[in-house]
Amino acid sequence: MNAVLQYTVQGLAAGSFYALAALGLAVIFGVLGVVNFAHGAFYMLGAVAAAVLLDTVGMSLWLALIVVPVLMLVFGMLVERLLVRWLLPLDPLYNLLLTFGLTLLLVDLVKRRYGVSGLPYDRPDALDGRVQVAGIGLPVYQLFVIGVALLVCLGVWLLMTRTRVGMIVRAATERPELAGALGINVGRWVTPVFGFGVALAGLAGVLAAPFRAITAEMGSDFIIILFAVVVIGGLGSIVGAVVGGFLVGLVEAFGQAYAPTFAQVLIFVLMAVVVLARPAGLFGREEATA
Amino acid sequence: MNKPRNARAAALIAGLTAGALVTAACGAGGPSASGGDFTDDKVVLALLNDASGVYKDVSGPNSKIAIQMAIDDYKEKYGDEAVVDDIEVTSADHQNEPDIANTKAQELYDREGADIILDVPTSSAALAVATQAKNKKKLYMNIGAGTTELTGAQCNKYTFHYAYDTWMLANGTGTVVTEEGDKNWQLIYPDYAFGQDMVKSFTGAIEAGGGKVGGTIATPFPNDNFATYITKAGAAKPQVIGTMHAGGDLINLVKQYNESGLKDQGISLAVGLMFISDIHSLGVEAFEGTIFTDAWYWNFDDKSREWADRYMEETGDRPTYAHAGNYSAALQYLEAVQAAGTDDADKVVEELEGKKVDDMFLRNGEIRAEDHRVIHDVYLARVKGPADVEEDWDYEEIIKTIPAEKAFRPAAESGCSM
Amino acid sequence: MLEIENLSAWYGEAQALHEATLSVGEGEVVTLVGRNGAGKTTLVRCLMGLHKQLTGSVRLDDRDITSLPAHKRARAGLGWVQDDRGIFANLSVEENLLLPPKISESAWSLDQVYDAFPALGARRRAGGTTLSGGEQQMLAVARVLRTGARVLLLDEPSEGLAPVIVTQIGDIVRTAKEAGVGVLLIEQNVRFAATVADRHYLLAQGRLVESLDNHEFVERQDELLEHLGI
Repeated sequence: MNAVLQYTVQGLAAGSFYALAALGLAVIFGVLGVVNFAHGAFYMLGAVAAAVLLDTVGMSLWLALIVVPVLMLVFGMLVERLLVRWLLPLDPLYNLLLTFGLTLLLVDLVKRRYGVSGLPYDRPDALDGRVQVAGIGLPVYQLFVIGVALLVCLGVWLLMTRTRVGMIVRAATERPELAGALGINVGRWVTPVFGFGVALAGLAGVLAAPFRAITAEMGSDFIIILFAVVVIGGLGSIVGAVVGGFLVGLVEAFGQAYAPTFAQVLIFVLMAVVVLARPAGLFGREEATA
Repeated sequence: MNKPRNARAAALIAGLTAGALVTAACGAGGPSASGGDFTDDKVVLALLNDASGVYKDVSGPNSKIAIQMAIDDYKEKYGDEAVVDDIEVTSADHQNEPDIANTKAQELYDREGADIILDVPTSSAALAVATQAKNKKKLYMNIGAGTTELTGAQCNKYTFHYAYDTWMLANGTGTVVTEEGDKNWQLIYPDYAFGQDMVKSFTGAIEAGGGKVGGTIATPFPNDNFATYITKAGAAKPQVIGTMHAGGDLINLVKQYNESGLKDQGISLAVGLMFISDIHSLGVEAFEGTIFTDAWYWNFDDKSREWADRYMEETGDRPTYAHAGNYSAALQYLEAVQAAGTDDADKVVEELEGKKVDDMFLRNGEIRAEDHRVIHDVYLARVKGPADVEEDWDYEEIIKTIPAEKAFRPAAESGCSM
Repeated sequence: MLEIENLSAWYGEAQALHEATLSVGEGEVVTLVGRNGAGKTTLVRCLMGLHKQLTGSVRLDDRDITSLPAHKRARAGLGWVQDDRGIFANLSVEENLLLPPKISESAWSLDQVYDAFPALGARRRAGGTTLSGGEQQMLAVARVLRTGARVLLLDEPSEGLAPVIVTQIGDIVRTAKEAGVGVLLIEQNVRFAATVADRHYLLAQGRLVESLDNHEFVERQDELLEHLGI
């Protein structure tokens, strides 16, 4: 029982990174129709930025949780304006390739500047240690990560369901052409939405910094899991990305506990099962995948 | 993202990779005439390692600088007496792929006129190059790889193994930690050749020391989430958890071990393979108290420190033992060429075999004739706490010296026949 | 108010529309009748700026809108009701109504909409696509009325609906007409078309073959039915 609680917390903590980043991936796919291969690299940049800001100007994790996503938002908007935008009218494969190339570029730049061994990161003392829950010591930081992820997901959910911006994004996600024909300037929302998605990946990176190795390659496997997450949740589905993220985190943790060698395989087994049973994913709609 | 789109992307990615390989294979060529005692009237040392991937900081391009230092030292020592004036160092990136290593090794030997290949991390790549060395009858000194196969079943006349191997790491960390009282182990390892090899070696060493391995946990490779593996290993209440991970995976694992609270429960972490660059990247605080086996430490004594100072002037960093090992291997090769008066591989091998060496890297060293294992003193090190660090890169406390003859697998057990 | 001149459209090499010229006046209901594949939907997509491979011109209230993007045409006064109704599943009934911007003073208020369509008011919080087919059609029409569109483009509004609903749609069209809104009605249901329209265009193989007033249209109804193969 103790172990199960520990595994659950570990799974949810890992799932938090997946959920936050997948949320960004889903929003971008929804509005732009772009499968953003560079999402893993943006996650990596978030972590690297947090480490570099700590090292150079002593910026704490608390501040980095706000500053880095803002920087990533600006960076994402620039990427959309300067690169992604030009390929939007073409086959989506072009943007997949563009973002794949961007990934290689970003990873190599970070390697060149910061090496391959990774960067150190110290988190604030307040997040060290463990709290006793039902006689089990649970790491404060993992609980913090889960808390932040849930708060952000809730915030995004409110933004999407309670505001006009959210309504427009939902409409543009579902049927961009029709939204345009009803007088919505979908193009105006493309840049901020892309930046917003990138900022979410950056936020996941900041949260991962104290917990994961901060290397140029840290996003390379992450993006593969993220693709599995959004396929499981349903492409372009906001709720699906979040539920899929936490679900994959749990599958990973319990897989590690009870079938160690198959922990990663299990994620893809889950994906295959979901795709067979519901091709559009758990929360996807058939037309959204067309 | 629908399936055909994925498949198309995958095909494209595969195509790009193949294209890169073809481009890489079309490197510079050159004539290779022979005449006199030296082919081309010069000696070419070739560094083949990971110039951009996970092992770049462990050895990488900086080893080229270390080799150049050996060339400079050789020239300074012999001056006009040197049997060869023209000594070059060249390098190539094998990206840790055995097939690339294989192609590159051929190219270096045949087209670039390399007389020796040095370094070659990643065991599978290391073994591929050993086969080339054997076929081409050219020298090869491995520094960067851990596999004991190089001096075991797959040994050959032209291949030498420097610095470390899995047996030496397991013997150092496994035996010594067990003998000092931590007898109950859990091992976590990456599920590929190196990890499996390490677990075998560690299990042998721990049992030889009177301890036992309560369980082993294989993890995917590469991997970034070890939290549950660690919890599971800790649940068996061992005294030590041994990890066989390297590079980024090791850093992930250590971060998450520190998170787990096992340290406070008295369950310590022993690391199978670690380089000082790993400590530097994660910081001593994270690794504090971790015990590992080190082939060489820059701040060990005046001799090593003097060399490390020179190296730092050139690179701005302190050397890992791979950098120092590349220096030493290049230097001992040139000494052998000097003694033989030729770069003829067979004659140089004759000079090397059985030679007793003492340089800033090899202490009480011997180039064993039987299996070409280069043996030397190695060290059991403990990572210092932040309070004990007196300068940058001053991270290790050497707690024990393991004498050369005990540090490596006895030649009789190697299974090597040349 | 809506004038279309010499409109031709292509899909790659294939010409789908040949120099169509037609107009819809203020408070006028005009139908475009033709069998499947005649080019009706292509014409509407050209009007909305969704199909771009075309020549000719489209003018709305004497303003050339031929090269405007879709959202600007909507804001200029074109209200499109898609043949599949185009209800957003991710939006509630009310959100579907509120999504398009208000573009003129003649826009209906939410209260007006709910008065005219009590079924929508009762289910305002429900997901858009949980409504019945007839209700979704009501919602789609109400949505463009709420913007205050000058010209309605109704693509097959009666398709697949029960007669009582079709009658209701006819009432809405007449209400809009009375308010001075122009209506271009794409229809295969000739009988329905005859009950609401002032004029009719016949479209066959991408060409406008005839233009009739409602009187002639009713007289020749049987012949037309056969001709169109409807």
